[in-house]
Amino acid sequence: MNDLEHLTRRYFLKECAMGLGGLAVGTLFGGCNSTTGTLPLLRANPLAPRPPQFLPKAKSVIYLHMAGAPSQLELFDYKPELHKLDGQDCPPSLLEGKKFAFIRGVPKMLGPQATFKQYGQSGTWVSNYLPHFSSIVDEVTILKAVQTDQFNHGPAQLLMHTGSARLGRPSMGAWVTYGLGSENQNLPGFVVLTSGGRDPDAGKSVWGSGFLPSVYQGVQCRSEGDPVLFINNPEGVTREDRQHSIEAINHLNQITHRETGDPEILSRMAQYEMAFRMQISVPEVMNINDEPDYIHQMYGTQPGKTSLANNILLARKLVEKGVRFIQVFDWGWDSHGTDANLAIDIGFINKCRSVDKAMTALILDLKQRGLLDETLVIWGGEFGRTPMAENREGKANPFKGRDHHTEAFSIWMAGGGIKKGVTFGETDEIGYSGIKGKVTPYDIQATVLNQLGFDHEKLTYEFQGRPFRLTDVHGHVIHDIIA
Amino acid sequence: MTKRNIILGLAGAIVATVIIAWTVWNALDADAVDFNTEVKPILNKKCITCHGGVKREGDFSLLFRTEALAKAKSGKAAIVPGDAGSSEMIRRLHLSDPEERMPYKKEPLSKREIEILTQWINQGAPWGDHWAYVPVQTPAIPRVPVWGQNAIDGYIDEKLRENGLTAEPQAPARTLLRRASLDLIGLPPDAELKKSFLSDTTAYEQLVDQLLASPHYGERWAAMWMDVARYADTKGYERDDSRTIWRYRDWLIRAFNRDMPYNQFITEQLAGDLLDNPTDDQYIATAFHRNTLTNDEGGTDNEEFRTAAVLDRVNTTWEGLMGTTFACVQCHSHPYDPFRHEEYYQFMAFFNNTRDEDTEAEYPLLRHFKQEDSTAVHALKNWVEKNISSAKAKEVYTFVKTWQPSINSIQADRFINSELTDTKWLIFRNHAVCRLPGVDLTHKNKLIYRYSSWLNDGTWKIYLDSVGGKLLKSVAVVNTQHQWQIVEFTFPEQTGVHDLYFTYVNPNLKKPDDSGMIFDWFYFTDAWADAHPTVKKEFWRLVRQEPETTPVMIENPAAMQRSTHVFERGNWLVKGEAVTPGVPASLVALPSGAPANRLGLAQWMTDPQHPLVARTIVNRVWEQLFGVGLAETLEDLGTQGIAPTHPELLDYLAWQLVHTHKWSLKKLIREIVTSATYRQASRVSDEKQTKDPLNVYLSRAPRVRLSAEQVRDQALAVTGLLSKKMYGPSVMPYQPKGIWLSPWNGKDWEKSHGEDQHRRGLYTYWKRSAPYPSMMTFDGTSREVCTTRRIRTNTPLQALVTLNDSVYVEAARHLAQQLVQQFPKAEDQLAQAYEQVTGQPVTPAKQEVLMALYRKKSPGAVAGNFQKVAHRKPDTDALELVVMALLNLDEVLTKN
Repeated sequence: MNDLEHLTRRYFLKECAMGLGGLAVGTLFGGCNSTTGTLPLLRANPLAPRPPQFLPKAKSVIYLHMAGAPSQLELFDYKPELHKLDGQDCPPSLLEGKKFAFIRGVPKMLGPQATFKQYGQSGTWVSNYLPHFSSIVDEVTILKAVQTDQFNHGPAQLLMHTGSARLGRPSMGAWVTYGLGSENQNLPGFVVLTSGGRDPDAGKSVWGSGFLPSVYQGVQCRSEGDPVLFINNPEGVTREDRQHSIEAINHLNQITHRETGDPEILSRMAQYEMAFRMQISVPEVMNINDEPDYIHQMYGTQPGKTSLANNILLARKLVEKGVRFIQVFDWGWDSHGTDANLAIDIGFINKCRSVDKAMTALILDLKQRGLLDETLVIWGGEFGRTPMAENREGKANPFKGRDHHTEAFSIWMAGGGIKKGVTFGETDEIGYSGIKGKVTPYDIQATVLNQLGFDHEKLTYEFQGRPFRLTDVHGHVIHDIIA
Repeated sequence: MTKRNIILGLAGAIVATVIIAWTVWNALDADAVDFNTEVKPILNKKCITCHGGVKREGDFSLLFRTEALAKAKSGKAAIVPGDAGSSEMIRRLHLSDPEERMPYKKEPLSKREIEILTQWINQGAPWGDHWAYVPVQTPAIPRVPVWGQNAIDGYIDEKLRENGLTAEPQAPARTLLRRASLDLIGLPPDAELKKSFLSDTTAYEQLVDQLLASPHYGERWAAMWMDVARYADTKGYERDDSRTIWRYRDWLIRAFNRDMPYNQFITEQLAGDLLDNPTDDQYIATAFHRNTLTNDEGGTDNEEFRTAAVLDRVNTTWEGLMGTTFACVQCHSHPYDPFRHEEYYQFMAFFNNTRDEDTEAEYPLLRHFKQEDSTAVHALKNWVEKNISSAKAKEVYTFVKTWQPSINSIQADRFINSELTDTKWLIFRNHAVCRLPGVDLTHKNKLIYRYSSWLNDGTWKIYLDSVGGKLLKSVAVVNTQHQWQIVEFTFPEQTGVHDLYFTYVNPNLKKPDDSGMIFDWFYFTDAWADAHPTVKKEFWRLVRQEPETTPVMIENPAAMQRSTHVFERGNWLVKGEAVTPGVPASLVALPSGAPANRLGLAQWMTDPQHPLVARTIVNRVWEQLFGVGLAETLEDLGTQGIAPTHPELLDYLAWQLVHTHKWSLKKLIREIVTSATYRQASRVSDEKQTKDPLNVYLSRAPRVRLSAEQVRDQALAVTGLLSKKMYGPSVMPYQPKGIWLSPWNGKDWEKSHGEDQHRRGLYTYWKRSAPYPSMMTFDGTSREVCTTRRIRTNTPLQALVTLNDSVYVEAARHLAQQLVQQFPKAEDQLAQAYEQVTGQPVTPAKQEVLMALYRKKSPGAVAGNFQKVAHRKPDTDALELVVMALLNLDEVLTKN
């Protein structure tokens, strides 16, 4: 038995209240009382791949988050009634007792700025802002009655991705990596890609590890500069030099190991070898130049620049290499109407254009590679937008725009065992509030974990004396959308 | 039978009875069930989730004894002390129907568990107080063992012997030197210290004293406290703008260096502003709790985030200073530990009356006047004291130093043609009306206010109690060209609390959407200075200064007090009963005479009888020195935390800190690091690997990877690149581009110049939404919440940092360049490099490995053959590569 296994067994048998039962894989989660050491198996290699609790449908997740919150009323939630009310004063019943981020006094109703048609065999409604996407509606499920309780970007993004509107909790990707480890030991298990010129409003904690060990945090892969920070050797140090260095380092570490007997040294040696391998595997996977032309056409990529389409293509490549959880954040969807970029009928159309082809291509590309069934794709924002035009500080905004809205928004999901060509949930006539099939971010989190083979109530980590989980004390799997 | 036989028989019977009784009595004694170690774990694991602080199914709770013994909803008593047979709880454990059996719809308790509970009830169901909630008792101090140096070794020795282990002999001098230096000052030993210690001129105890006296000691321990204090240089959330609060770090360094007693250390941080005539330093100390986040995102509710900050202060005080997961109690009574829901809010009441209200400027701020002006402020205060009154002097001093107590313009409401622009400042459009509620005008006839206007001809009117009420003042608003100005006016003196109604008209405002003026704050006072023009001039000169500031705590005056309410289910929008400041009943009471504010709270926390404060800090100090606390879960000393491995030792150290060391952390640290336990070698024999794999019994010194700050500091120090400059604003060492991308914030990372690039890690600018990457990779935290301990990990990303981050390359280059000047031969260069970086002399085997690497990089370089070439120095390249490798050795990244 090598040092590490030795360490593991003794710890479980001696320290853990679960005794021999604690050795069962299923009870590795939330079994013992210890925090750092709860899972010494994981201390040895925290990213070692391990099976989920039950047979999964999805092996990987690609979460496309449009930070700022895209308007569901111009994309998926077709409301002809709202059209009729365009320009009228908002009725008091929609304002009484409600709080808005920016709307003050009595705003005017704003009819849909896009035109809608039904598509595919499912007859799903999609607007003319997403011409490409409308061709794949039969592959996706659209949730139309998602609701949250946060109307500010930072807290809402945190709620969506960490299960709490306040800081300090691990992100979805961190939980998944904690639960599943990493298939590909030469790449990070949880990768983050950003575009749009800004980080998400919640900051990097939205892919952070919270109270989980930092090894589970998202690793930001960048399109400019080092693909992963510090992946490239300094100037003057060749690949060969690096190999020789690491050999020398580990040789000396071996001597230290003989002198001290500390098993942690072996772990460190393994990390250095992995770092060496990552120096090749990461730039390789991050390079989209080698993709064939038709792929570039399909996605609408811009090689050499940072773009959402590039990141979406990268996500497919990462999935192929066994990366479990990829989060793509794009900034700039906050269509308040305060300027042209944030106008529903100007800037927003450009944003849609920047993602329409690529997200469609992603689904088709995964499908043609036989990966769609085991890759769960999610697309959406952190809340919705109001059926009323925003009147910031009680004045009309210079452009057409909508304020933040908690009571109804749309998110689509595809692949990974999700039903095809389905719309779940309904909002009222004007798209103000969900009336059927309402779901919360917790429900989406529970569903994601379910598809990956976890009972969201049982993927836990002891912290502050109790078992925490992503969904905390909430969440139900949305069974109606599971194939 | 003979008489003799009868007597014998009787004697025998008596003896037998005695023996039987003695046996039975012994057996009963031997079976005495311990609540804390046997019963409570079962209750916590199997029962309390449904029958405790969170839920009370059947109206039965096991959180407190009184609840547990009360009759439940069914009318039956779940627990009848002394009679398990009549106890409903026990009956339910034995049933087979999962609908009736307890635990409800779960696996039944094991036979042994049921036995324990049954015996416990039969023994009277005695409750036990959890160890951490019982005040520390005078310890029974063990003998110092033969191998030991002090009492600590006595406690360690006990457990070692119990487990058939012996301590390691003392570590070799070089190892011990480096270990002590890293632990006490966070840096490897410098050449002088090495020389004096290794040449035996300095004994170990002297070495320790020298290290404790070093100014770098304060930096190392401040770095630890900054995690607890959640120190950062930005405000957090979306905009994450910068915050000038570095003076708090300076305060920490100085406090540790002068060995400020821990009770004073806590008191000043919690309530420095409430001490008599607080000094600037005492105000700055309160920045501890101004490290909370401020939300500048447009459209956010100021009260929501003010509340979030207050909740965070409560949670941080409990987790960081008392090792208790009190945060749980925001929503419900504690699931496991004896804290009731309302007690959370009674505690919160101590913190709920400060002037900060999530304003963009982060008021209240302590204003740091330059030297001459600082003298002038004191002169002004003295004049007022002499010529008016002490009370007025205090008031004037506070206002000049902090612009408090002022009313933030965000308190306005009932807006017509006005609002809080960007939810931050009161703004007026034409025909604006709004209300400033609840202003105490008793003895007030002067308003000083901060505003800005960009138009002429505006008129602002102030009415008493209603728009049609008495006109207090009509102001012709002066155009300030968009600049913030502080001005004043006098109005007729009033009494009582009133709502003030503001109106504004400006004929120049043609469009309904255009605005004319904006307000920051209002300060109602009296015209004390009007009769003294010279003094008044000086007063205004000082008030209008805009020096550097630090956010501090200032308490609400009586007129601005907030009431505190229980939040139903933890929701700040649903307020339940009102509460007053108080502490949980399960711990010690507030000392008599303690005021109902943060000062009183500090008195409670520093009461020698307080069971948690001393234990928490000694546990933390132990964790810093040994890598793991005596109670591993520093943040949770409660019933769900991991029990201490050496509870008597923990209590001994807590006792020592308070009674013997008089709260001196240096003395505590000295006692620990002079113990033989601390000085042991760190070798792990096969036997110890088997018997004590996690070093729970401290059968050897631990090998612990250095913290993020130490990894960086060490690399700079051993290569001679470290700037020893102390104090001052945070600095920005090299960071790759494109890390800082906060929305609505155009700021970028601007690399510092000169020696500021190579300062110690604790001075690195800490941005919450985009923390310095190398720090995060080495288990640092974003400082968005209190972090009680860092969980150490071992990842390839860490390897990439120390291999490729430019600071390590720079450091290696710096050392290489020095070495080629000092030593002509490669062998000597490498030997010196090894010794300098690791603190150990190189061995032939290791030298061989280093030479092999050297040769591979520079095949032409034979020993003794180097050329002085202007740009390309192939020999330095090879040497650099070797030094870079040295900086990555396990023995370098680890404290041995």
